[in-house]
Amino acid sequence: MTARAQYKGWLAALLLALVFVGTAERLKSAPRKTISVEMQVALPLFVQVFMAMGDRYLAANLAAIRALVVATGRMQPDEFKILAKVQEDVSWLNPGHEDNYYIAFAILPQYGEVDAAQTILARAGRIRFFDYHPAFFYGFNQWYYKHDPVGAAAWMREAAKKLPDPDQQLTMQNMAARWMDKAQDTELAIRVVTTMAKEARRKDFRQYLELRVARLRQLQQLRMAAVAFRERFGRPLSNLQELVDSGILPALPQDPFGFGFGFDPQGEIVLRTSPPQS
Amino acid sequence: MWQFMLSAGRAGLRSRSIQSILILGALLVGVAYLAASFSPRQPQTVALDVGLSGLRITLILFALFWVQELVAREIERRTVLFALTYPVARGRYIIGRYLGVLGLIALAAVLLGMLLWAVVLSLSKGYAQAFAIAPGIPYWSTVAGVWVDAAVVAAFALWVATFSTVPMLPLAMGLAFAVAGKSLGVVAEYLAKGAEGDMDLMRFAPVINAIQWVLPDLSRLDWRNWPMYGLAPDGQAVGLGLILAASYAALLLTLAVMTFTRRDFE
Repeated sequence: MTARAQYKGWLAALLLALVFVGTAERLKSAPRKTISVEMQVALPLFVQVFMAMGDRYLAANLAAIRALVVATGRMQPDEFKILAKVQEDVSWLNPGHEDNYYIAFAILPQYGEVDAAQTILARAGRIRFFDYHPAFFYGFNQWYYKHDPVGAAAWMREAAKKLPDPDQQLTMQNMAARWMDKAQDTELAIRVVTTMAKEARRKDFRQYLELRVARLRQLQQLRMAAVAFRERFGRPLSNLQELVDSGILPALPQDPFGFGFGFDPQGEIVLRTSPPQS
Repeated sequence: MWQFMLSAGRAGLRSRSIQSILILGALLVGVAYLAASFSPRQPQTVALDVGLSGLRITLILFALFWVQELVAREIERRTVLFALTYPVARGRYIIGRYLGVLGLIALAAVLLGMLLWAVVLSLSKGYAQAFAIAPGIPYWSTVAGVWVDAAVVAAFALWVATFSTVPMLPLAMGLAFAVAGKSLGVVAEYLAKGAEGDMDLMRFAPVINAIQWVLPDLSRLDWRNWPMYGLAPDGQAVGLGLILAASYAALLLTLAVMTFTRRDFE
């Protein structure tokens, strides 16, 4: 290389170094777009799979870890939608992922993402034939967030079938039966609990369920009487004794559990869940 | 042919590949262990899951590396001509080399599989998860599936090596083939289930269906739901998956033999 060519090379290097240093200086003060470390992006499903070398399970694990380490305390409401999408994707890629359905149940419904949580739990329940949790959680959400005691009880019975211990199965079936008490459609509740009683293997549990059916029939009788009362007197009931005093019922039904009946905040007659305080 | 296979095996073992297996194995175990620490309820399952993904990636990289090293490099350097001076058909060289690579990846699968197994079992000491994983036959069947997957990728890379005049082409194309073949199943399943109502995506359904005529669905060789959740794969699906893999690998091998036989070495 001639001296002239070498000189040109050095000059070019110096120029490039100056451009580099100048740019680096300017870049320091350039505004940075704020990047939230939390959930801002849910990558399309195929991109996730592609980035995991085509391995759906690896893609599911990466997204599940992302959902696990997220600090929900710092998240904005719309970021929970993204978290829900990320977790739904995990459940599509690997429906059996235990951590995913568990944290979906723990976090999503509280932030309005009940439907996403239910989708994840339903998929997990289908594939995890040995695990009662997804069906149990699904039933709980149906009861607590969706106010659907009939649906909740159906999932509870599904969960009970997956329990290994007969006593635990009974406990869960009992819970399902009790939830049915809250159903607005008493006729449907009666039919469901009657079917449960017929299917019960243990005699004592069958008798217990039959008592619950009797109780529901009493509730149905009281509600029909309340409707008749309103039609006759043009006002709602203020207490149950009025049904007897007005001659609509000969006597108030005797609750086999001894808890009796009461009114909910909307004035609807309901089954009491504990003995009346004397 | 057996000579070519044995020499491939010897060369593979000599090329520091055992050390690489051990290093990658240690990495794989580390990643599986780390992934498990993120799991609140099923650390063993997550370790097994991530470990199997790592095992597949590692085996494919090894398969491609060995095809590159034992065939593509020999062709590139013309050292293959020494082998071809033997009075045997050229096809025997290709088949021998392929069997050698299969043996090497089987060895790697067994070594890494044992390492992963030990890590997954050791994780049960800290925390007993509610639903146990299934080591034993389900686990080793899954490892065997991963090996078959790598064997198909190796056959593809070998075929590319027989006509490639560009160094590293078998490696690059083999990697693309491995990713595409494995992703195919997910895409096909997504479209088959209606793509969550995305009509734009559904337009690609015929394309994806057509692609399955030329590209094997490698995700059919992934049976990890068995050791992870006790969900034994459908017998028919496993059988068809294995026939698909074997016929595709054999087809590629035939093509490789034909191309290699006709190839001119100047």
